[in-house]
Amino acid sequence: MSAVMENPKGGCVLAGINSVLGAINRVCPIYHSGPGCCMQTTAADQGQSGHKTSCFVSSVSIPSSNMLEKEVVFGGTNKLRTTIRGAIDIIDADAYFVLTGCTAGIIGDDIASVTNEFAEKGVPIYPIETPGFTGDSNLGYETVWNTFLDKVIESGVPKDEKLVNIFGIIPYHDPFWSGTLEEIDRILSKLGLKVNTFFTKGQGIETIRKCSAAALNIIVSPWLFKGPAAKFEKKFGVPSLRIPGLFVGATDTTRFVRSVAEALRLDKEFVERVIAEEEQYVYNYLGQAIGVLSWKRFAVVADANNAVGFTRYLANDYSFTPVLVIVSEPVFRDEDKERIIKEISELEYARPPKVLFLTDQYEINKAIREEEQEITLLIGSSNDREIALEKDIQFILGSFPMSERLIFNRTYAGYRGSLTFTEDIYDNN
Amino acid sequence: MIKTVEFFIYPGHGNIISIQVIKEQNDMALVTYSGVRESKPGRVNDLGTTGREVSEEFKKGCLKRADRSFAQGLQCQQINSMAALMSLEDSVFISHSPQGCVGCAIMAVDMYRVGQIHRGVREVKNPRLIVTNIDQKSVVFGGEKKLREAVQKAVERYSPKLAFVYASCASGIIGDDIDAICSDLQAEYPETLIIPIHCEGFKSKICASGFDAAFIAINKYILKNKKIEKEDGLINLFAPTTVSYADQKEMERMLGLLGAKVNYIPFYSSLEKIKKIPAAVASTSICKVFADEFMKTLWEEYDIPYSHTVMPIGIRNTDKWYRGIAAVIGKEKEVEEIIAREHERIEPLVKKIRDRLAGKRVFICGGTGRSFAAAALIDDFGMELVGLETPTYDEDAQVDIEYLNDIHKEFVVDIANMQPFEQVNLVKKLKPDAFIGVPEWAAKLGVPTTHVLDGKRPTMGYDGLLFLGNKIADQLENPGFNKKLAEHVKLPYKESWYSEDAFKYIIKGVD
Repeated sequence: MSAVMENPKGGCVLAGINSVLGAINRVCPIYHSGPGCCMQTTAADQGQSGHKTSCFVSSVSIPSSNMLEKEVVFGGTNKLRTTIRGAIDIIDADAYFVLTGCTAGIIGDDIASVTNEFAEKGVPIYPIETPGFTGDSNLGYETVWNTFLDKVIESGVPKDEKLVNIFGIIPYHDPFWSGTLEEIDRILSKLGLKVNTFFTKGQGIETIRKCSAAALNIIVSPWLFKGPAAKFEKKFGVPSLRIPGLFVGATDTTRFVRSVAEALRLDKEFVERVIAEEEQYVYNYLGQAIGVLSWKRFAVVADANNAVGFTRYLANDYSFTPVLVIVSEPVFRDEDKERIIKEISELEYARPPKVLFLTDQYEINKAIREEEQEITLLIGSSNDREIALEKDIQFILGSFPMSERLIFNRTYAGYRGSLTFTEDIYDNN
Repeated sequence: MIKTVEFFIYPGHGNIISIQVIKEQNDMALVTYSGVRESKPGRVNDLGTTGREVSEEFKKGCLKRADRSFAQGLQCQQINSMAALMSLEDSVFISHSPQGCVGCAIMAVDMYRVGQIHRGVREVKNPRLIVTNIDQKSVVFGGEKKLREAVQKAVERYSPKLAFVYASCASGIIGDDIDAICSDLQAEYPETLIIPIHCEGFKSKICASGFDAAFIAINKYILKNKKIEKEDGLINLFAPTTVSYADQKEMERMLGLLGAKVNYIPFYSSLEKIKKIPAAVASTSICKVFADEFMKTLWEEYDIPYSHTVMPIGIRNTDKWYRGIAAVIGKEKEVEEIIAREHERIEPLVKKIRDRLAGKRVFICGGTGRSFAAAALIDDFGMELVGLETPTYDEDAQVDIEYLNDIHKEFVVDIANMQPFEQVNLVKKLKPDAFIGVPEWAAKLGVPTTHVLDGKRPTMGYDGLLFLGNKIADQLENPGFNKKLAEHVKLPYKESWYSEDAFKYIIKGVD
């Protein structure tokens, strides 16, 4: 059930699927959809997430059956067949995924049979029969992983007790995704682990096929990936560790490191040495700019992951005062909402902020406008700048959608990202 | 409909300038235009050819509809219907669709925000965009309830003067009657004009149809065929969202020199300015495919003559555009004086650019208006056209192609809405010195790239020309980025594709 929404953040299921496929090296989506879906879905996520778009194929480079009236009336499977054939002929991909737009979904075209004609000839091609109208980008992220679990990931791969899989950061939907994955990779590699981020280091479909070898799935999100995680454990015996929110700064990143170390029974003394070194790195810098940032009473508008990360860092590590936190993505399950509220509210010293779950921009603006307590800093998306300008408060563009800055490998996450975050908050005015 | 096209001959310029001051000669009942551009005879979207071949074939009436058996994604018309109006004041934009169909709205949203900054607005606002979020339940039971809820929210929140309701593939296929629902809601909310727009993506392959869908709705629900008192010297200047504020000012400056007052619409305008459309004494458009159909309607239904020429990019095209509108308002003499003055100012500067660019071989890709404008522009700089990619071919394109055939030797023509796979195949074979258009793919081949579509900076009129010329010359002179990029980043195509016929997937005779 999707709600009527003003200025929605993100796209449909297809957009989420496209974001994931676009981030995997040498994978080609093929759309069985109306003529605009390639552009729309790419623009919905990649186009609003710091201006990076998939290097391999994206937007109008994606093969598409471009269904018009004729296909709507007579069915579009013939068009899909020639589109797939062309894609295989000219695009040098390691795997192809056939995606269903609303049009194909509503008229009921059987994409699995057409895809199967090619799969039988040995082409690595897989259908994803989830039309756009079934949900949002977040659901797309889970849908594509469910497809991988059902059709791509191999069983019987020898276990590697040092290998971990990272989930929960949606590429191109979280503007800082690559930098965040690189920081996670850096930290875990320092612990002697091998890390599947799936979307950095040129990792491709082969990494996904063999990821059942992992000793642990690390889900960096307070709520995403519940279904796929259960399936993963059942089918491949890989357990999951949920990190209940993105870690920004020394305190939470250390908490993250310790929980991974505990789950994998890593050598405690060694782990503590790594932690000490990383924390010292951060505090060497923080110690050189004391009192440079003026004290702030802050509000955050972000997806759950970043809302948790930003709030906890600024409150616990930087001693700013949290006032209002708005989780601006749809979260449906009560247990998830409770977990998010717990993470945002259980702070070390600071009084807990007000926590709201709002996806509609009018309601978000209203909540900030009518907040009785003073707010002097707002961290939010491009959509939230308007209310910051209206209230004349400092604004940091830190969450999705993000149009006014270019993001390559920047992140606010981890040990090092927290320094970048702090740099960005500095304001000489 | 029979119409005459009057040719104005300007001594001293050596060429015949075909400016259409269109005069309807019969009063037969007109067939209502559906808004679907494919419905116009002689228009094709899928063709691989050359400048000379296509011109001959068109003359003989031998151009046949075709299709691509393999294609990459297109732009849908809904994107253009939304972009055309999303900067209007006091409006709410309701997309009756799943959430994904407002993805591309970000382009118009961004232009609206940046447009405000350029116009000195400090408290930059978002456009009010509401998506009904059609879901599985709506697909089964219809989306009427959601649409009603969205309109109710729009009215309660903003009491807008206008609420546009955009159809989508999904709403069209599930059969929601948005006209009936909107008419019903209109009775409920009399203070807000509720306007349905039929821009279902599957209806047209030509995204410019979306402009027509928006203007058809404006005519039907706002103007309503009512004649109003004329305002002396008032000109409708139609501009899409991709025209920068700098360009707006240049166009207004030029029309101001002719003594005209400009009603700049619909970008960055309002209900009041739209209502003023019928008061104008003439119409013209900055983009060739933006309001061409609507200007025709304004002539047929409101007796407003119009000029439909080219985009004012480059000397030749700016002159042509300028003379076009001047002829319609009877300022032929004045415009010649101004043009002579502008040329005197501009030509020495253009010569400097020409010295840097003459003889360079160019491949151009762009929308209908921009691609032909760029092709004319390169002639100002003495460059040579080797390939042209443009979305549609029709009688308008024929005029441009005939002009280009007179200047350039043989050049390849790809009638395609993007289709980067064909583009890179051609670029790799033709090895141009420069590529003008969306740079993403040619850059990865190491070819120097530049663009004439920058909605945030100047490109048009006499002043825009200098900015553009210097940009092209500077970018071609210093191609290091693309050359190094090409050594590290590969396009997704198999090597074998580059030796195939670029047009191998175009199947003639298929509609």
